[in-house]
Amino acid sequence: MTRPERSTSVLPGTATPVLEVDDLHVEFRTRSGVVSAVNGVSYSLSEGQTLAILGESGSGKSVSAQAIMGILDSPPAVITGGGIHFEGRDLLTMSPEEQRRVRGPGISMIFQDALSSLNPVYSVGFQIGEMFRAHRGMSKRDAKKQAIELMDRVRIPAAASRVDDYPHQFSGGMRQRVMIAMAIALDPRVLIADEPTTALDVTVQAQVMDLLKDLQRDTGMGLILITHDLGVVNEVADDVAVMYAGRIVERGTVDDVFGNPAHPYTDGLMSSVPQVEAKGGRLLPIVGQPPNLAAIPSGCPFHPRCSRRRLGDAAAPGRECATDVPPLRLVAPAREAACHYSEEVLGV
Amino acid sequence: MTDQQQMDLRKDEVEAGTQTGLASPSVDVTSGRQNSLWSDAWGELRRNPLFWIGAVLGLVFTLMAVFPQLFARGAHPRSCDLANSRATPSAEHWFGFDQQGCDYLANVVYGARSSLIIGVTAVLVVLVLGVVVGAVAGYFGGFTDGLLSRLADIFYGLPLILGALVVLRSGVLGRGTFAVAIALAVFGWMTAMRLVRSQVIAVKSSDYVAAARAMGASSPRILVRHILPNAVAPVLVYATITIGVLIAAEATLTYLGVGLQRPAISWGLQIDAGQDLLRSAPHLVLFPSLVLTLTVMAFIMMGDALRDALDPRQRA
Amino acid sequence: MSEPTTGATAASRVPSAAPGEALLEIRGLKKHFPLTQGIVFKRTVGHVRAVDGVDLTMRRGETVGLVGESGCGKSTVSKLLVALERPTDGQILYKGRDVARMSGRALKAYRREVQIIFQDPYASLNPRMTVGDIVAEGWAVHADIAPKKGRLQRTQELLDRVGLNPDYVNRYPHQFSGGQRQRIGIARALALRPEVVVCDEPVSALDVSVQAQVVNLLEDVQDEFGLSYLFIAHDLSVVRHISDRVAVMYLGSIVEEGTDAQVYGSPSHPYTQALLSSVPLHEPHLRGQKDRILLQGDVPSPADPPSGCRFRTRCWKAQDICAQEAPALVDRGQGHPSACHFAEARTVVPVDVE
Repeated sequence: MTRPERSTSVLPGTATPVLEVDDLHVEFRTRSGVVSAVNGVSYSLSEGQTLAILGESGSGKSVSAQAIMGILDSPPAVITGGGIHFEGRDLLTMSPEEQRRVRGPGISMIFQDALSSLNPVYSVGFQIGEMFRAHRGMSKRDAKKQAIELMDRVRIPAAASRVDDYPHQFSGGMRQRVMIAMAIALDPRVLIADEPTTALDVTVQAQVMDLLKDLQRDTGMGLILITHDLGVVNEVADDVAVMYAGRIVERGTVDDVFGNPAHPYTDGLMSSVPQVEAKGGRLLPIVGQPPNLAAIPSGCPFHPRCSRRRLGDAAAPGRECATDVPPLRLVAPAREAACHYSEEVLGV
Repeated sequence: MTDQQQMDLRKDEVEAGTQTGLASPSVDVTSGRQNSLWSDAWGELRRNPLFWIGAVLGLVFTLMAVFPQLFARGAHPRSCDLANSRATPSAEHWFGFDQQGCDYLANVVYGARSSLIIGVTAVLVVLVLGVVVGAVAGYFGGFTDGLLSRLADIFYGLPLILGALVVLRSGVLGRGTFAVAIALAVFGWMTAMRLVRSQVIAVKSSDYVAAARAMGASSPRILVRHILPNAVAPVLVYATITIGVLIAAEATLTYLGVGLQRPAISWGLQIDAGQDLLRSAPHLVLFPSLVLTLTVMAFIMMGDALRDALDPRQRA
Repeated sequence: MSEPTTGATAASRVPSAAPGEALLEIRGLKKHFPLTQGIVFKRTVGHVRAVDGVDLTMRRGETVGLVGESGCGKSTVSKLLVALERPTDGQILYKGRDVARMSGRALKAYRREVQIIFQDPYASLNPRMTVGDIVAEGWAVHADIAPKKGRLQRTQELLDRVGLNPDYVNRYPHQFSGGQRQRIGIARALALRPEVVVCDEPVSALDVSVQAQVVNLLEDVQDEFGLSYLFIAHDLSVVRHISDRVAVMYLGSIVEEGTDAQVYGSPSHPYTQALLSSVPLHEPHLRGQKDRILLQGDVPSPADPPSGCRFRTRCWKAQDICAQEAPALVDRGQGHPSACHFAEARTVVPVDVE
């Protein structure tokens, strides 16, 4: 099935992107060694597009977003290469002061844990209003009026009477709405949502995802949705980038990628998840454990867990899975995968 | 899927686990023996230089306390000659002489006994009181906890020195080293108790304790196997630091006139007496302070090493 | 791989129930936690009705799924079942005997036969015990299961069975990943050769690719060891996959119960319908094919639940009777029990035709 409002692709050259991440590398330099969290990740986001970044814990999906927001803990984190272009300007070459001026109103982010992202000693109205006071120099009274309006927009019932309540007086779903209100206060062009519904119950998750979609339609902002939930990606995103061991291993439209995966990891994920619409037979899990980022396997990082790996003489020249790193390459129209044998996975 | 395929899959998973998640085992592979926390901790301690420095220092001071004559270079602390009053250190008399003209090295060496007895005894009593009362309050909770915690609060209301002062003045315990130790411990156990109590409460509600209870394990077993090993670590560190604090507190009591009295010999008495002469004879404060610091350091190093050894997560 | 021995200890156990008959019966189970004030002398100011009238039957060899959102009381049910909490009211009958009245030896025997697997693989293993000690702890408590001599070997057999390298007995939990720790937890439960295993969200803390491994392992050992599972989770897909029968919980009581096909295919309680319609589907071709029922408002506080039907404050079907009379969990003509005065089957999840 098709949805008319979908933009077509994450691949370069289609629309003018608002945000472009270019060959980003991030390392964590710890006492016990160097952890390579992000190893050459590139993606771009245009206005009105929803890009899902799908990955498991330790895949680097959150770290790349933290690099965009400039909220990496450094040390130990160090951006060792690449660029982050917002509206055509590279954030990483700017002074910290300039970065703040550009990011502040332009890019915002919401997190998984709304409770710890809100300050418990200020009312939610005050915290939402803070955005207007700090960035727009509004008076206290105007900021409060704006806060109530925003709380209405994120569908917090009886906003006018709850504006003076404190974070602990709200339920998990309502707190996440407060976070969203703060994030959209300055009309950002890009909103990054890092596991926004993971801590929420499924009925509340549906409400929050609906809200995010509606807000995006109204404002035309680009949305980066970081998640491990295949269902959320399928229902909300236009495009998806699948991450593994700090790399993007596959990307394309959700229909393409989920309909017929081109990377064995994506394929494995799809068949490990049980379905709610049918009981299904035995699950086919991916063997082994997610990789240790301090010791990423040589060659294709997925090869120790891959059922399609070709080692030694079985491999085509230059495409040995344990020694040759597969580049992210075009494997079908408008989709890319980082596997030497994607054509086989696709079944073409 | 056939059985054979399933077996293969499982084997794959094990192999993949060794290849990806956890490379080679960091603990030695089984040699047909089951390690325990304590045997692993000892293995860990043995490899820790910090522990050995602390242990050697501790041993030296213990020997000093038991056989002071071995360290005094032939001098006796009570054979004094006023002609030597406040003489500075020399090749013959390493630590010089005190105001009465007694050999100061001998005095400092002979002072180890009472200072160590006071420090170690008081800390042991603090540990026993703290761990027992804290574990009981934390584990049983409810009314017991309310009662014991309030009791600790009452003791908190009395300052350590003031409490010890009153007890020692009353004379019920006498005025010897053990009396001083007990008096200090009785008013110094509350922090240890609170530490143990909060740890026990945290550990008690953990899933692994629930798992042990669901298995049918008895309360003593749960306390000994699960709760105490996880609750004592912060108390050990606290205890090692407290040894120093208590030895110093003894000095304060002496200064106030209720601690050890001459002719007893202790570092506290020496520091106290030396304070008045700090300008003319600084070595009288310097040497007892130095050995006191070294003693405290020895215990802190041992305590630190022990805490790390008892925490498998600290191991490389 | 050698099959762990049985038999030697069977004589000392409670007589076995025949296959298919009820192994565990929960009747009118209630657990109210007092809300207290005061420091030394505590005063009760109210009650949280965490579990408030649950009926559930589990047969031998069966997997019963219990789903519900956070705060619905499903975890309290699991704690009651393994006797970590005492019920306020109601009965838990295991092979016909009331667990709440058991004490001493009978309770110990019960605890041996009913084991639990926890959600958080990081909190459920003692960080200061070796994996070998953790798995073998049950044998120290129930010494008759395994003689002291062969315990190390049996521990290694169990580790091998759950897919861990048997050489790792001397490692500590922090040296393992989440999925591997969950396997250790499973081995610990299996060591007692239980009949019933309560799985309290056993895969929710795991990565997607690892979840499937653990689900498969649970299914394999169920067949091999003849286990019955109570599988508690909030993930409706996983529950459907593993369960023979499913019960849906809302605010302390069960609102609908049936086989997986009945509950998922023709849900008849409005809450079940809303819950199912909220689950995101991961098949592109099914996107947009389901009814979306968006619930309004939040779950009421279990300290002050609504009168009558618990769900009426958020229900689009609610009428006067719902506030006056709590609906019983009975079949109202839709083929399986549902606690709604206006129960009516409705398909909300598209049927996968692939």
